[in-house]
Amino acid sequence: MTSRLTPYLLIAPLLAFIAVFTYIPILTSANLSFREWDFLTDAKPWVGTENYRLVLSSSEFWNSVKVTAIFALISVPLRLVLAIAIASYLVREALPQRLLRGALFLPSVTSTVAIAVVFSWLFATDYGVINAALAWFGLPKVYWLQDPQLALWVIILVNTWKQLGYDIVIYIAGLQAISPDLYDAADVDGGKRFHVFRRVTVPLVMPTTYFLLVISVIEAFQVFTVVDVMTRGGPAGATDMVVNLLYRIGFTLFDIGQGSAIAVLLFILLIALAVFKARVLGRKVHYEA
Amino acid sequence: MFDTLKIAAATSLLALAASAASAETTVEFWHSFSGDSGEVLDGIVAEFEAANPGIDIDAQHIGNYNDIVTKLQAAIPARRAPDAVIMEVTRYGLFADRGVLTDLTAYLEADPLKDELFDFAREVGIYQGKNFIVPFNSSTPVLYVNTKIFADAGMEEIPSLTTFDEILSAAQTVQAELGEAGISGIAAPGQFARWGLIMANDSDLIDSVSGEILIDAPNTVEAYQWMASLVHEHGVASVDGVTKENNGRDAFLAGKVGMMMNSTGNYRRSKTALGDDLLVLPMPCNKACAAPIGGAGIGILSTSEQEVKDAAYKFISFAAGAESNAKWFAGTGYMPINKNTKDQPVAAEALEGEPGISVAIEQLSVARGRPRPPVVTWMRASEYDKWQAMALGQRDVTETLSDFATQTRAEEARTN
Repeated sequence: MTSRLTPYLLIAPLLAFIAVFTYIPILTSANLSFREWDFLTDAKPWVGTENYRLVLSSSEFWNSVKVTAIFALISVPLRLVLAIAIASYLVREALPQRLLRGALFLPSVTSTVAIAVVFSWLFATDYGVINAALAWFGLPKVYWLQDPQLALWVIILVNTWKQLGYDIVIYIAGLQAISPDLYDAADVDGGKRFHVFRRVTVPLVMPTTYFLLVISVIEAFQVFTVVDVMTRGGPAGATDMVVNLLYRIGFTLFDIGQGSAIAVLLFILLIALAVFKARVLGRKVHYEA
Repeated sequence: MFDTLKIAAATSLLALAASAASAETTVEFWHSFSGDSGEVLDGIVAEFEAANPGIDIDAQHIGNYNDIVTKLQAAIPARRAPDAVIMEVTRYGLFADRGVLTDLTAYLEADPLKDELFDFAREVGIYQGKNFIVPFNSSTPVLYVNTKIFADAGMEEIPSLTTFDEILSAAQTVQAELGEAGISGIAAPGQFARWGLIMANDSDLIDSVSGEILIDAPNTVEAYQWMASLVHEHGVASVDGVTKENNGRDAFLAGKVGMMMNSTGNYRRSKTALGDDLLVLPMPCNKACAAPIGGAGIGILSTSEQEVKDAAYKFISFAAGAESNAKWFAGTGYMPINKNTKDQPVAAEALEGEPGISVAIEQLSVARGRPRPPVVTWMRASEYDKWQAMALGQRDVTETLSDFATQTRAEEARTN
């Protein structure tokens, strides 16, 4: 009897942790999405699907979905391509590579708020270093954070800079797991460097790529801090991500019901994306060489 | 063995009794002051604690007024709200309306402080006939001028800066003469100054008496059109101050901007940054002479225990007293709220030696409190994005304000 219970007892603390910090909040959020609440009173009257109707009929919500999708479509491939390219160079165990790995990983462990504050000063139109450098070359000033066409690119750049180090480290681990014999065999067969990379490296790091794809898509749909500090969703909604809208409606406009409805819709969207990726890409991932 | 246990038990009981005798009432107090203002507040807290050995004020800097509102929202349902909190004068109505704040009327009625407070200071704390906050830092926006920049732009003598046209003209002169050196004519107005400029154009966002929403009133639209034109049409205010409101103030403090309209609470840091180059003038009177009364007061959360509420009120009363208020006024530039403040040596010295510090006080004759129904909190939080779109020329001012007024009326119907 005791031996049958042991596995359950061993995982019980972790299950309790996940229940308290993940499942209970998800269920609470789902419950609140059908209620009206402003945080300040105990009364939370049931309003049925009214919050969903308001969210789904709001142009702000659809704009935020569009902006977040564009952000994910650009930033995820960009991160993965840059990460595998840089990791291929840094995979060697030499001093310069080790130093560069540390340097590139540093933004991943730096406060996102601090990064966003520094970049918002760098990209300031009249007082920023980047425009000062452009002016030095005789170029006109650029409205980095005020031009709706440019602001999202700045956010993508900053987010890529922040996250790239993590992707690189994961790719390095994936690359190091590839047997050198396969490269030797490709070399004997006269494979050129690019072809070896395409035909040997890329297929063999597919599990890593798939893992990073799943993680980075989720991250892309949950991006918040960089946007909140640098643009607060502006200009004119050009960088208004789903989570920023959720925060604004729930925490600054006191409508936790609609905020929760957005959270539930985002959750469903991420689940759908995960299933789609598993169906379409999961089959192409091979975990053994 | 038994004796040893008895001695140990007796010692424990004695220690327990001693600790109970010296037990302090702790008041958790959330505020919004850092830097120089934070230091002045720390001094007031220290003096209070020295005078009241049984009370410990756990003062915590939370962030700006918006941050406090956001954190309170999370803390209240979590039963982790503080005992006392600084609340901006237009945003406490929602919390009073929902029963989150304690009615302080009985405390104030029994406190000699009641007769010491200026009328305007008492008024800002009243919501629906009851006192919910006691003012601590009161302000009006004022016009700060960097006289060195004006002189460098050829305006040795400061021109009249009373109407919108006069301000624009001076800003254009600064921009034309010094723009290439990275100097802007004027800082894009922050939300408090925007409200002041709307009042100076003989309008309001919400009528403080009737509660009517005036966001799309012709004079409000006209004021916004003028403010937005400073940025996107005339280019005399930096766009950086639109996307980040504090950037305009920071640039002014760094000597990169000719004029700034901002709270008198920025007086001390402006004086420290610019020294004798700083000139403080009243807000413009474009179609009317009027200015909003801003700042914040301290409220007590209704969830606190009675003993803690009593201790919190004692601190609030101390902080609004003439001696503390004089130190606060001289150290920050916020207006005196206590009639006896001016008689305190530190305040008298500031008033005599620094003419700029008294501009906000002189402006009080035309200043008025603003409405504070629950919808104001929503309106102020929503206004930033509308202003950004208008100032950057991305949305038409009339259309934006018409939409905003409609949304605000709908929100008012939902929340009130």
